[in-house]
Amino acid sequence: MVPKDIIGSFMWRRKWIYLLSIAAIGVAEAVQVQIPRVLGNFINQFKLGITAAGVTHYALLLMAIAAVYVVTFGLGQFIMGHLGRTMEFELRERLFAHWETLSSRYFQQHSVGDLLNHALTDVPAVREAMSGGFNQITQAIFLFVATLYMTISSINPDLTLVSLVPILLIPGIIVIVGPKVRIRSRLVQEALSNMAELAEESFQAIRLIKATSNEAVEIDRFKTLVDEIVARQMRLVQLNTLFQAILPLLSGVSFAIGLVYGGDLVIHHQISLGSFVAFTVYLSMLVTPLMQFGFVINTFQNSSASLIRIGTLLSVQPDIADPETPVEKDWLGGVTVRDLTFRYPGSKVSALDAVSVSVPHGSTLGVVGRTGSGKTTLLNLILRDYDPPAATILIDGVDVRDMRLADLRELVAYVPQDGFLFSTTIGSNIAFSQPTVVPEQVEHAARQSRIMDTIRAMPEGIHTPVGERGIMLSGGQRQRTAIARALIKSQAKILILDDSLSAVDTRTETEILGVLQGVRGQKTTIIAAHRLSALRLADWIIVLDKGRIVEQGTHAELMRNNALYARLYRIQSGGEPAHG
Amino acid sequence: MAKAQPFDIDREETLSSTSFSAMRRLLAYARPHWSSFLIVVGLVIVYNLTQVVQPWLVKIVIDQDLLAHHPRLHAIAVVGVFYLLVTFVGLVSNFIQNRRLQLTGQTIIRQIRQDLFAHIESLSMRFFDTHETGRLITNVTSDTNRISLFFTNFLLSVIRDGFSIMLVMAAMLLLDWKLALISFIVIPVIALISVLFRNKLRYSYGYTRSQLSRLIGYTAENLGGMRITQLFHQETKQMDQYSKLNQAYTVGNVNEFRWSVLFNRTFDALGNFSVALMAWVGGLAVLHHAIQLGVLYAFTSYIRQFFTPINSLTQQWNTLQSSMISAERIGGVLLTRPEVVEPPAPSTTDASLGRGRVAFEHVSFGYQPGQPILKDIHFQVEPRSFVGFVGQTGAGKSTLMALLTRFYDVQSGAVTIDGVDIRQVGSRDLHRIMAIVQQEVNLFSGTVADNIRLFRADISDRAVEEAAEIAGAAEFIRVMPGGYRSWLTAKGSNLSLGQRQLLAFARALTLNPRILILDEATASLDSHTEMILQQGLTRIAEGRTTLVIAHRLSTIRQADTIYVMDQGRVVEQGTHQHLIELGGYYAELVHRSGPTADVSGAADFPLD
Repeated sequence: MVPKDIIGSFMWRRKWIYLLSIAAIGVAEAVQVQIPRVLGNFINQFKLGITAAGVTHYALLLMAIAAVYVVTFGLGQFIMGHLGRTMEFELRERLFAHWETLSSRYFQQHSVGDLLNHALTDVPAVREAMSGGFNQITQAIFLFVATLYMTISSINPDLTLVSLVPILLIPGIIVIVGPKVRIRSRLVQEALSNMAELAEESFQAIRLIKATSNEAVEIDRFKTLVDEIVARQMRLVQLNTLFQAILPLLSGVSFAIGLVYGGDLVIHHQISLGSFVAFTVYLSMLVTPLMQFGFVINTFQNSSASLIRIGTLLSVQPDIADPETPVEKDWLGGVTVRDLTFRYPGSKVSALDAVSVSVPHGSTLGVVGRTGSGKTTLLNLILRDYDPPAATILIDGVDVRDMRLADLRELVAYVPQDGFLFSTTIGSNIAFSQPTVVPEQVEHAARQSRIMDTIRAMPEGIHTPVGERGIMLSGGQRQRTAIARALIKSQAKILILDDSLSAVDTRTETEILGVLQGVRGQKTTIIAAHRLSALRLADWIIVLDKGRIVEQGTHAELMRNNALYARLYRIQSGGEPAHG
Repeated sequence: MAKAQPFDIDREETLSSTSFSAMRRLLAYARPHWSSFLIVVGLVIVYNLTQVVQPWLVKIVIDQDLLAHHPRLHAIAVVGVFYLLVTFVGLVSNFIQNRRLQLTGQTIIRQIRQDLFAHIESLSMRFFDTHETGRLITNVTSDTNRISLFFTNFLLSVIRDGFSIMLVMAAMLLLDWKLALISFIVIPVIALISVLFRNKLRYSYGYTRSQLSRLIGYTAENLGGMRITQLFHQETKQMDQYSKLNQAYTVGNVNEFRWSVLFNRTFDALGNFSVALMAWVGGLAVLHHAIQLGVLYAFTSYIRQFFTPINSLTQQWNTLQSSMISAERIGGVLLTRPEVVEPPAPSTTDASLGRGRVAFEHVSFGYQPGQPILKDIHFQVEPRSFVGFVGQTGAGKSTLMALLTRFYDVQSGAVTIDGVDIRQVGSRDLHRIMAIVQQEVNLFSGTVADNIRLFRADISDRAVEEAAEIAGAAEFIRVMPGGYRSWLTAKGSNLSLGQRQLLAFARALTLNPRILILDEATASLDSHTEMILQQGLTRIAEGRTTLVIAHRLSTIRQADTIYVMDQGRVVEQGTHQHLIELGGYYAELVHRSGPTADVSGAADFPLD
């Protein structure tokens, strides 16, 4: 659904409420423009002779008008603002729900920062147009029309038109200068964030800077950026101050014309003194809607760009979807890879080249290879993170593409390389896929992955928050928590570990492998690693290089083979000289 | 730091660090600009006067020209021109004042920023251990920004709005003092309503902000972890959570909006009511011929002129508070003294530290009192030798290197280079002869060449390229789209871990150090990449004293001496062969790191 339609249907569903708020604002403005007229009449009464009761009458009338105006306008303004915020809520919901359907490829192509920008700036920009902008334009139109009507009909058309000329320039100037101000203020923001970035990288590299006595160079670099901020800030100030001077100048000119021309008309008895006073008040009332016209045009321009960006985002189709007729059966979890060649979109080289391997259910496959050899790609294809070519990855003989995504993901438990955790408690991270488990089950999984001792030492045990991306934990602790998160998913028949033991020490690695040995035979296990010690349990090992299987066999066979595997083995066991 | 007199710590030792005195000290930064502030005040007064004059002119037109028995158009025209002139003068003075004040504020803040940054850079490692980087960045960016608001908003408002209120009051008193006194009733009412709403508005604004940052934080995290959510099939749960936060934010936002509508409309109503009040009181006065009709007009205009300045003044309390808090934070940083101090009279020059013999003489050290990390470390590394340090995490290897680079001072004993205590050497001289390569390679936003030469102007492009060549980095740099001019970012996602390490090697080489320290430099690499790096390492270590902290034992197999550390002590030392034959701790480490260590034995570990 295109966002224009979303907004259209949102407004259509609430058309009566919208009409109510427009009507409220209309009434408010119609009432407000009576104030100068009443003041004018009041002044005229002094020439005609007025009593004390008459004075009181006018004062009360002014009060009553003010009260009606304030209440109706406040009501209209609030309803519109409320509607705008409700729409903002719905847009955000749609965005998030849409993101959840998109595949890994999408998230690799778009940085989190860019996507967040949509939620942070584009959505509020649309809301701003829909509440503030809509409210202002309604108010401006009513006020402008009502004021013009009052001045032309009850005072003097010529006076109105002549005095109006200078202030009619106001919206034009705002439309021209407004975007320039925005550009310059963005430049200031950029300069500020450049400075923040330099401070960040400099403080983070403080050891390097101190070890090289490079402080003076850093201070110089910082100075340059700070000077740039001042320069850009002053360019913004120049434009802003000009802007702030021109608008009042124009209304001043209008007022001066009104004063002289109006005075002339009074002298020649073409308008009354009261009308003259009323007119000066009307003139000041006209400035506001004219400024609003300019601002609203800018707001709408701004938000239509945002609306287009949101539209582009919502129109992205998920590239991995459920098959039309998914295969349903009781899955055992045997994995077969059959002549799999895979190339990332936009890449010229194959990430995987004619890979075939069979992992009978309950057995363990080890995948080894240097960084970039295709280990992670292979695992990701089994997870259907990306779509493999048809009939190249089969689970219990069924193409993964013919499985329902939900079924596949219920079947697999996965431990990522980076041990990604959410900033919730360590307990809810472990129980991520099983929100209903009891604490004992969480603790059991934590013991299995050797993270329980760490949890016990934490101030609030399993209820301790782990911070953003698990920042409160070390790399090894994160990995062990991620392993617990996979182990607690007891219904899973396939366990995939993507270099998930790289940050734990060798003793803990041994202990965790001991636990994995315990589920041998029940779960198909695939372990990718570049530390060979993590593959001790493997029934079968494949060695990948540039996307091809260059060797495969059991550990003993590969050692006899005396090729890449044996060489890696020797380096890692300290048997081959690395230096000298 | 030449211009940092306001924070000259030696002279102002006794100052307490409350926010008021912190603010006072920051105000000292404004002292050189007093003449600018004087000009600003003058211009503000001119502007305010022109604003007050306008209703008065209309009053003149009404009373003297229009209500006169013989109305004179000529006089009205004169007033009209005068009115334009006044408006113009007001706008010009406001224009100049604005620019002047902004420039002054920016200049002051530039100085504070530079001094603050320079000061932070001068502080010792322990400061960075105990202060989060994020906090320090906030100090440099937003705290300084809030202080600039003090100069550009708070001071301006107090002067401008204060004068504005006083001038309007004066004009009213001049016109008719009795009516003026009655009108002044509205001033406390405006102030009271403004203050009451201000608290409510601030609270609801703060609440909405915190809800928004929770929502944004959650969104950011879930975008980053979307894959995990999908792979664990938890989309519904995460969406529910999101909706709750979204709902909470929307409720807060609507509530905040409700208060702001209420506040603005109340102010509106108050403005109109005071005009009505004026019409009533003033109207009766006109009726009794106590005042002229034009005076009534002027009063209805003036009474509206109270609202803006009073409202703006009440807002400034928040600005003042937040800039005082920021001043206190910045003051706290500026008052911190570097722990590691330069020797008053450096006893040695670069030349005498020429050979590179490193010795630790009975060194003990701990980050916390009572928790020693290094205990009586005593050894000597010969010039141009290659030595390795091994041991478990926490054994004290990295601390050793931090003492050698003098990030910290030893608590007892001494670290010497060629027999000279490093505490007697100026830090520039000391660091000129050594270079350190760490596991994590820090990159800076800049070109590849600048990253290698660390932005130093005295290192030529040629020297950079030579260093890259020797370190083995030239190969990948050449194939980058811009070569040595390619742009890198601090996050450095465009370089692989191996490439970053090679770049760090090149960086160390351009410094041509006599002593080279490698702190777990190759730990995060796969074996193959490590092998390539080893070749580069061999080349750059040539002819230098090289100290290597190793994660993988293979890195230091060939070392002249291996120091085995455990719990802050050197427990074994010797060549690889010697240590293996010794059959002690080192031999056990070697055995344990092998790929075929027994797993079945491990299964015997109790599961809890």
